[in-house]
Amino acid sequence: MATSMVVQGVILVFVWILNSSLIGVALVGAVLFSMFTMGQRVLNEAAYIRIDHKANDLYLAGPLSPESYFLGMSAGILVVYVPPVLVVGVLAVLVVPLTAAEVLLLLGLSAVVWVTAASIGYVFSTGFRDNRAIWAYSSLFFNVFGVLPPVFYPLRLFPAPLRPVVLLMPPSAASSLMQWATGVTQLSLGELLLAAGGLVAEAAILVSFAIFWARRTVRGR
Amino acid sequence: MTGEALRSEALRKVYHSKGAPPVEALSGVSMEVRRRERVALLGRNGAGKTTFLKIASTLLRPTSGSIEVFGFDVDRTPEKVRPYIAVVPQEGKPFFHLTPREQIFTYLRTRGLSRETARFRTEQSLSRMGLTDFADRLSITLSGGQRQRTMVATVIATEAPLLFLDEPTIGMDPFARRAVWASLRDLTDRGSTILLTTHYLDEAEALSHRLYIVERGHVIVSGTAEELKWAVGGTLKVTLPQAAPEVERFRSFGECALDGALLTIIVHPERLGELMEVAFRAKLSATVGPVTLEEAFLRVVGRSIDED
Repeated sequence: MATSMVVQGVILVFVWILNSSLIGVALVGAVLFSMFTMGQRVLNEAAYIRIDHKANDLYLAGPLSPESYFLGMSAGILVVYVPPVLVVGVLAVLVVPLTAAEVLLLLGLSAVVWVTAASIGYVFSTGFRDNRAIWAYSSLFFNVFGVLPPVFYPLRLFPAPLRPVVLLMPPSAASSLMQWATGVTQLSLGELLLAAGGLVAEAAILVSFAIFWARRTVRGR
Repeated sequence: MTGEALRSEALRKVYHSKGAPPVEALSGVSMEVRRRERVALLGRNGAGKTTFLKIASTLLRPTSGSIEVFGFDVDRTPEKVRPYIAVVPQEGKPFFHLTPREQIFTYLRTRGLSRETARFRTEQSLSRMGLTDFADRLSITLSGGQRQRTMVATVIATEAPLLFLDEPTIGMDPFARRAVWASLRDLTDRGSTILLTTHYLDEAEALSHRLYIVERGHVIVSGTAEELKWAVGGTLKVTLPQAAPEVERFRSFGECALDGALLTIIVHPERLGELMEVAFRAKLSATVGPVTLEEAFLRVVGRSIDED
């Protein structure tokens, strides 16, 4: 559980050393990044228990619906990995500091990022036929999309022409919205709508697709 | 629900993969399993047993043919079949960070059983499978046989109307295997139906009412263990050491097999006296014993290869 926070911990230390005034942004980013990497854990776990434990055969050849299996597994992983994220969240509340409304916004954004990432993770997990490649590829995907965009640092430091792209990526969109809410970053109305609308639309589309995909992949072809 | 638990007609499955020729795993398998029966699917590795079980348990789509479970079409309405079935997957493992008690209880809860029923069935199943002493140990600390017992206990606890068990006793010691057999007999006595695959011929003989031998995607023989033994030409086996040079004298009595100098003949009981007289005249010693299912199986499957 604690090892799940290594990347976030290293980045926070670097931010603290290099520019401690950004530690509040980085702490909020660490919470959102952690929720995004839950998708990596769903990917790893779903593929591992399907391939090694034959859990799909055991659970899906029965009354449990495929969507319940996907959502139950994702929720189970969340329960296991969320305690250290809560600790970082409390630090963010104290350091930034966050108001009650901002805390609620952070919780909401975290939920949206989690459900999006879990959906991506579950869908990707069905593509693996052996365990050898899972860890390498899954960590690459989630770390690249969670670390390179402005999740741990302010959006204003990111090249302006590329901002619409990162505002469509769930972790950086959520982080930018938190930065806007806490006054760290200014967002135009268009950027605000792009980030918020994109986040919600992506979550809805990806969850729907993951449910469709979970039903479709119960049976091999 | 119909009187048959399962019926398949001309079931075919062809696997397609990129860069490789298609593989026909099932080539028109027709079979039926009546309610409260225990039926074993036998066959060498790759014969198509697991493919059949996967299709029957809604986990794989057939290429053609039909299959029904309790009258419901498995391919068209899998969601209607699933509440009636439970599966012990081949090489399945319990979750390593759950104890056997947690594994069984959690599984039963996901199948919609109430907390009280799940708790009662969990304890019952742990006891039946001799897992009570290990019930609170993490599965990762259990031996391979204990883990397999946990998997079987998990599925047996469902008391589903139709259970599919893919090599359920693999890796178990003789005591554990007998505990599984007793539990499966008990389940069918109480109304369940069981279709299993196994490589243990003694298990198939001791446990199943009927057998199907599958070879290269075809059912080549079906019936009871006794019928299968008769199908190879008799129920007695006569072993004659140092009789290889005399093999032609015995060909008319039944199927002969040579293993070095050792001659084995499957013979009908009515012709045993005559055969022993020939052996006596040739001054050959002879041992008589019953034909085992394993011998019948090897001869049936071996014959099919010769014919190919």
